[in-house]
Amino acid sequence: MSDKVDQRLDCKGIACPMPVVKTKKAMDQLNPGEVLQVEATDRGSLADLKAWSERSGHQYLGSKEEGDVLHHFIRKSSEGEEKEEQRFPHVVELKELEKRYSDPDLTVLDVREPMEYAFGHIPGAKLIPLGELDERLSELNTDKEIWVICRSGSRSDLASQKLHEKGFQVKNVVPGMKDWQGPTEKEEDE
Amino acid sequence: MAKKVAIIAANGDLATAYKTMNIATAGAASDAEVGIFFTFEGLNIIHREGHQQLSMGPGKEHMAEGFKKAGVPSIGELLDIARESGVKLIGCQMTMDAMGIDKNQLIDGVEVGGAASFLDFAYDADITLSF
Repeated sequence: MSDKVDQRLDCKGIACPMPVVKTKKAMDQLNPGEVLQVEATDRGSLADLKAWSERSGHQYLGSKEEGDVLHHFIRKSSEGEEKEEQRFPHVVELKELEKRYSDPDLTVLDVREPMEYAFGHIPGAKLIPLGELDERLSELNTDKEIWVICRSGSRSDLASQKLHEKGFQVKNVVPGMKDWQGPTEKEEDE
Repeated sequence: MAKKVAIIAANGDLATAYKTMNIATAGAASDAEVGIFFTFEGLNIIHREGHQQLSMGPGKEHMAEGFKKAGVPSIGELLDIARESGVKLIGCQMTMDAMGIDKNQLIDGVEVGGAASFLDFAYDADITLSF
């Protein structure tokens, strides 16, 4: 997972509120979509950084422990990512997807970033980050219907429009992984 | 809209200083607008010499050691972070007059005002805390 991190922050050996204060400073320097890895020894940072991320509109991807050190992964959201209007008219609800995600005639396409995918995705979902979609179209089966998903429905909206233009049969899954109640798979490190 | 946090610090021991400054800096890091009114012994916390000599109080000296061990920043550092992140520090004029404290004995960046200045900030606060 470490190769998908854009910036690292060392908060080892410091206590509350410093991990939050330093994370805030570091996040201000990141570009939208980039991922910050925070290394901390403060156990309170588990609850604190999650709460802080949600409150600040960033996406807390998850954490892992190595010995005494907690590694937190936080993705900087772009402004308006939550509110962006959906324009692609063909949408399906998560409930629909819950019934059909394992259907062999259906491709579930996850267009989030690899780090987001790694911390939890729908079993069998294919990962192609939105930014790589153009050059990887050949990996998609034109005979199958494609249901596109991201976190909140806005990246998948763009991807759906793009795929529709290329002649794929496509639907945008709304809202997205942030409200997905069905099973997920995680990618373990190494 | 950003949240607003209004804090009163009315005691001058190290524990009060930590409670106040931790909440204030964490608030500022969450993009809240934070204001602290330092009154009575609370003025110690923003006194140039005073804030370096804060103690835990009788019988609690061992706690200071624990704070150091746990990697808790000094009050001086927290004051710097607070000022950098735009926390409003208000010294109580009445207490200063009564105790004979001059504004230049307080750390830089402190505003001086009375109860009304604090209330003006606190009226539309989302959270009000008193330590």
